Amino acid sequence: MNIRFGRGCLFVALLIAQPKMAEAHIVAARLGDFYAGALHPLTELQDLILWAAMGVLAGSLGAARGRWLVLLFPLGLLAGFTCGRAFSIVSLSPAADAGTILLLGLLLAAAIRLPTALLCAIAFLLAAMRGATNAGDLAPENDRLLFATGLACAGYASITLIMALTLAFRRADADSATAWRAVAIRAFGGWIAAIGLMMVGFAFAS
Amino acid sequence: MTANGRKMSLRMFSRFSSAMAGLLVTQPAFAHEQAGTVGGLVSGLLHPLTGMDHLIAMVAVGIWGAQLGPPAIWILPITFPLVMALGGVLAVLRIPLPMPELVIALSALLLGAAVAMRLRLPFAAAAVIVAVFAIFHGHAHGAELPGSADPLAYGVGFVVATGLLHLCGITIGTLTRWPAGERLIQGLGVVIAVLGGYFLVLSLGAAV
Repeated sequence: MNIRFGRGCLFVALLIAQPKMAEAHIVAARLGDFYAGALHPLTELQDLILWAAMGVLAGSLGAARGRWLVLLFPLGLLAGFTCGRAFSIVSLSPAADAGTILLLGLLLAAAIRLPTALLCAIAFLLAAMRGATNAGDLAPENDRLLFATGLACAGYASITLIMALTLAFRRADADSATAWRAVAIRAFGGWIAAIGLMMVGFAFAS
Repeated sequence: MTANGRKMSLRMFSRFSSAMAGLLVTQPAFAHEQAGTVGGLVSGLLHPLTGMDHLIAMVAVGIWGAQLGPPAIWILPITFPLVMALGGVLAVLRIPLPMPELVIALSALLLGAAVAMRLRLPFAAAAVIVAVFAIFHGHAHGAELPGSADPLAYGVGFVVATGLLHLCGITIGTLTRWPAGERLIQGLGVVIAVLGGYFLVLSLGAAV
């Protein structure tokens, strides 16, 4: 009985010791590059911070101003991606990323009521910058079209979701500058600006 | 097979199974500091939490802000991280500040005393005091940034940890709405001031 149990343990241990990839997901199939494009920005802290800050900024300005970004942000990513491939942009200066983080943080912290056109221009430029940077990490074996589509879809989903969450959090009655929800959004902006300021310093120091 | 033979086989199998189980549950040693984004984030998050002098001073800032009430209670959370980051930039640019450890200990002593005495300074004066201390605290944290595994992740971690400590202080400070809570907070202020004094004595001892 004990010998059988020992043999059984040995057999199970040997089975576990030979793990293989499950291959159960489509990421390993021909649509894998779509997922690579969609997931790539989510693995970069710069993208996460900048996209979050942009979404919160647009959401804090209200649905009427922010809704343009649902279309413009993914388009900006595609434009940047195309330019990045065309002009072989590998990556932008760290100071540019840090400066953008600082700018978005300051705009949020100061609760400046940006005009719609300016908000759209900032969002498009930011998306173009990040699109070009993401294009720089595209491997030769990746399918460009699928990667770009994945990137644009991730941009669309992220910016829409973050704006919607901010709008829901802010609520209509949070227009007063001292309402705690408005203060929380501005404090978030202060945190973002602080991170950007340190990174600007670091970019110039290194 | 004899009884002794069975015993021998059983022992061999049990030892072999144990060895296999030991191999299968192996984990990386983590003998060194964590690397990459996670490493930077963790070290940034832990840096303000592992220094007791930083921790008590940050909580005291939040409590004092809550005691002072508007506009301090809502301006401090917005501007404090930014002023701290300014100190961090000075450290990153290798611009030294005079006697940083001593001033950080002094900040805990004075902020604790302000909480204990319910010191109600004009907002501008309180903001200047807090800003000066924030620059010194930020300098201490920022000095670690260039050497961290991921400077951006470290910055995120340190700002988030500081902000949460500050928020913790503000939450504690809301107890001032009740008389018993007010006394509790004043007692906490005394504890922070005493600890600050202890760190100040240590810093002076190290300086001498």
